[in-house]
Amino acid sequence: MVGELSGKAAIVGLGYSKLERRSPRPLAHFAREAAHAAIADAGLRVEDIDGLGTIPNIAAYGNTGDLEGIDIVSVPNMIRMLGRERGIRWHVQTPGLCPDTIIAAAAAVAAGACDYALVWRAVNVPKGRYSDFSRAEARGEHQFRAPYGFTMPAAWQSVALRKYMHDHGSTREDMAAFVVQNRKNTQLNPKAYWHGTPLTVEEYLEAPMVADPFCLYDCDIPVDGCVAVVLASAERARDLAQPPAYLTGYAQTTWPTRGGFTDSEHLWEGAAAMGEKLWASAGLGPGDMDVAMLYDGFSVFLYVWLEGLGFVPRGEAASYIASGATALDGELPLNTSGCSLGEGRLHGMAQVSEAVLQVMGRAEGRQIEGAAHAVATVGAGTLASGGLIFSREARA
Amino acid sequence: MTGEGAPVTKPVPVPDAITAPFWEAANRGVLAIQHCGDCDTSIHPPAALCPDCQSPALAFREVSGRGRVYTHTIVRDNVTQGFARDEPYVIGIIELAEQERLLLIANVVGVALEDVRVGMPVRVTFERLTESIALPQFEPDEGD
Ligand SMILES: [Zn+2]
Repeated sequence: MVGELSGKAAIVGLGYSKLERRSPRPLAHFAREAAHAAIADAGLRVEDIDGLGTIPNIAAYGNTGDLEGIDIVSVPNMIRMLGRERGIRWHVQTPGLCPDTIIAAAAAVAAGACDYALVWRAVNVPKGRYSDFSRAEARGEHQFRAPYGFTMPAAWQSVALRKYMHDHGSTREDMAAFVVQNRKNTQLNPKAYWHGTPLTVEEYLEAPMVADPFCLYDCDIPVDGCVAVVLASAERARDLAQPPAYLTGYAQTTWPTRGGFTDSEHLWEGAAAMGEKLWASAGLGPGDMDVAMLYDGFSVFLYVWLEGLGFVPRGEAASYIASGATALDGELPLNTSGCSLGEGRLHGMAQVSEAVLQVMGRAEGRQIEGAAHAVATVGAGTLASGGLIFSREARA
Repeated sequence: MTGEGAPVTKPVPVPDAITAPFWEAANRGVLAIQHCGDCDTSIHPPAALCPDCQSPALAFREVSGRGRVYTHTIVRDNVTQGFARDEPYVIGIIELAEQERLLLIANVVGVALEDVRVGMPVRVTFERLTESIALPQFEPDEGD
């Protein structure tokens, strides 16, 4: 049975801040820029916004700041920035990743808890060394990881690619095919951090290794920036400035990791379990998708999602990409904007925004003709991951 | 705490109500893994309840200390304190011989970085960190 929420809400506006690195500007400036851009894009005024949602957490691990307005931008801050102390009827802050917040906001506008909900995700480049772990003691979940120097997200996920390469006979050249294709797509996306910087297979293969088999270009590029979207009910969405991107499918992962990133099989199991819920919620399947924006915070997640969601059988993602099927002119154009690896580390908002733009028909030089359904996934496949399907029409 | 000039150590595990028996055994040079008496499953890292059957009937028991490299990485851009920034090291995900997918994180030592392989047989050895904490590590298992 199709999910009750399918087709009842839509994203009706989208806004980006500039994407910079180590900007002297506080993160709040980026959030304000994205919020106003999204509201204007929808053809609304600030006074129309009566719902707010965000993920107020820092998007990093280790010793980094969490100062309001500098490292995070929470709901109370946005209320003040928009001058909406008296006008907000609904708000939510969810930990984790953006699909949780978007699903909550879609439910809120569909149920009438608010009319127009603004959802944003503001992230920065953490101060100092990325995911620095400078602590003398390792408590809780850290006690079986940190004493071994296993504190870096890139290292946690690199073991998944190693196992995949071993089990399925894929190579770094195979991954180069995806990363280079992705960077090529990025050249059609002027808002992307890596726009204007192409990448060759040779450059990928010769790049510094971070945690073998991950090199620098298997990791997304940390940026200072914010992306915001406006949601409205399907009824309200029809009368606004942009063609609506209806939310027709949605799922959250409920697959916990065990043992702190030891067993990469959990990624595929979690993605598959989420995929079942995602397709059921929309009454659609992988074959119905015209484009896919799969989370690529680390390159190996492409394999997790392509296989976990059932686009290809287990172990065949690398050869599927190498066949050209995921290029802009292939049967499943993948990460058409460059997403996390190319656009920037926006914790899933790059995936959401490109899926929305594709079904709105606004993806400019990278628009896939007639794209009616787009899937976006965020996360590694395990807990906190989520998936969204956006469609040009409200009913599948 | 570390004062000026004091050596910067690796993060030292702080045993808690759930994990204390693991570290107490390691300190004696024994690898002990939590085991569920109800469903006969071994569990690592230790948990409050069995993740498979939710039983609280958990106890630690000595294991062989033998296993294989399930997967691994070479950390080259290190960010953990106590590890020299310019000295790459191997993190192995070790699958213990007692149970499929019974996995434990350790450094693979006593072998060149490039020679570590998925499937390589390994066995436990202990690295003393402090008077009360010894870290299980793994080295190539040449057999007896
Ligand atoms: Zn049990």
